[in-house]
Amino acid sequence: MIEVDGVTCRYDGGADDDASVTAVDGVSLSVADGEFVVVAGANGSGKTTLVRTFNGLATPDAGAVAVNGTPVEADLVAARTAVGMVFQDPRDQLVAATVGADVAFGPENLGLSHDEIDRRVAAALAAVNMTGRGDERIASLSGGERERVAIAGALAMEPDHLVLDEPFTGLDEPARRSVVEHLRERHAAGTSVIVVTHDLRDVLGLADRVVGLSDGRVAVDAGPDAATRALAELGVRVPESAASDDASEAGR
Amino acid sequence: MTLSYVPGDSLAHGVDPRAKLLVQVGFAAAAYAYTAPRGLAALTVVAVACLWLSGGGPRDLWSYRAAFPVLALAPLVAGATLGAPWFRLDRAATTGLASYRVVLLLVVAAGYVRSTPVRESRAALQRSVPGKPGQFLGVGVALVFRFLPLLKRDLVTARAAVRARGGGALPVHERMRLVAVAGVNRAFGRADRLGTAMNARCFAWNPTLPRLAFGRRDVGAAAVGGGLLAAAAATLV
Repeated sequence: MIEVDGVTCRYDGGADDDASVTAVDGVSLSVADGEFVVVAGANGSGKTTLVRTFNGLATPDAGAVAVNGTPVEADLVAARTAVGMVFQDPRDQLVAATVGADVAFGPENLGLSHDEIDRRVAAALAAVNMTGRGDERIASLSGGERERVAIAGALAMEPDHLVLDEPFTGLDEPARRSVVEHLRERHAAGTSVIVVTHDLRDVLGLADRVVGLSDGRVAVDAGPDAATRALAELGVRVPESAASDDASEAGR
Repeated sequence: MTLSYVPGDSLAHGVDPRAKLLVQVGFAAAAYAYTAPRGLAALTVVAVACLWLSGGGPRDLWSYRAAFPVLALAPLVAGATLGAPWFRLDRAATTGLASYRVVLLLVVAAGYVRSTPVRESRAALQRSVPGKPGQFLGVGVALVFRFLPLLKRDLVTARAAVRARGGGALPVHERMRLVAVAGVNRAFGRADRLGTAMNARCFAWNPTLPRLAFGRRDVGAAAVGGGLLAAAAATLV
């Protein structure tokens, strides 16, 4: 379980030393094991900063985050092992020249045995339908394939929670469907999935819960049906069917 | 095109990186020991063989294109004099041979880079140099090889962005300034994101290194490297 308690994150305002921008403002929430949560909000609403506190990539100025009962700052390796993260742009995440080397990067850093690393790499590549492509150069892959390699890199850590930051940005329709299908499978396998997005069209049907952020605060935290109307007002793109349902309900 | 590892099944791909490093060290020593045209001609054969055995060819040398004008210009600068006779052929020839020596080293390095995954280079260094210095060297090599291709791609993107908005008509020094400023900005951003990505995946100074096994093929490569080193040493005796 991920427990977020009153987290506030501020960024330096730049040239003006006194100014600081509050990206996340007193957020409290929890993500249960096996839950599928969508964190939605307009650009600059604090989504990415919030999820980066889950594995210590961002340090809260106030409040605390615990993963599986352990405070994140007390054991960063445990937090980063338990919370796999896929970045918005896979190019920022892929650190090796070939698919297999990149997927193995995390398990190697954990100091696992060669057999265990091989097993995890094979399982992670199989999970994203890339079995047998370990020797391919990452530079030669399409955007959708890079996204899948990034997901495989996170899966190879065998995380309890998988966080994906805007996983559909820049993907065409088949690639989006492929990623959605992989998320569905991970969720079915018991991994809790947290998707950060400003576009709910692909994931609303998968979500158990939607957390909407506005100006760094939780504006809505509800089931997908209940959250849809409020999310549209926050600048989040919702599926057309959901939007029209809401409109007709409002007209009654 | 950036020179980087290319998966393959060439002879060099199957050689232990430690043996390949020994060949490189031996070659560098021999190139500095034998500076006469005959010696360099023999080393040319070795250098071309190294690149060929890694599955590479002349195309791989394209990534060194920025260095070639400097190497070609060096003999002209060395030979030029401020007064009569205005140009000294002997000085130009000596520098020309030195430039050619550098080209040969680049050719051998290209064969190594295209046939050796970064993590195997890191493993070879960490196993060859014990303790913290080995870890430091290994991490340095890994980061440089990961960062440079990304940085180069960013510079190319910055140049394209300048051209796309009519920047091609600007004077060369202005274009260079624009690309350099954008490149430095992107380099800092890229370094930050690469660091974050490595942190997210539990970057460790002493990870599980890939298996390296020294086999019969490696003995042959090590013998070539050792032979080159011995040949270089022989000139000192």
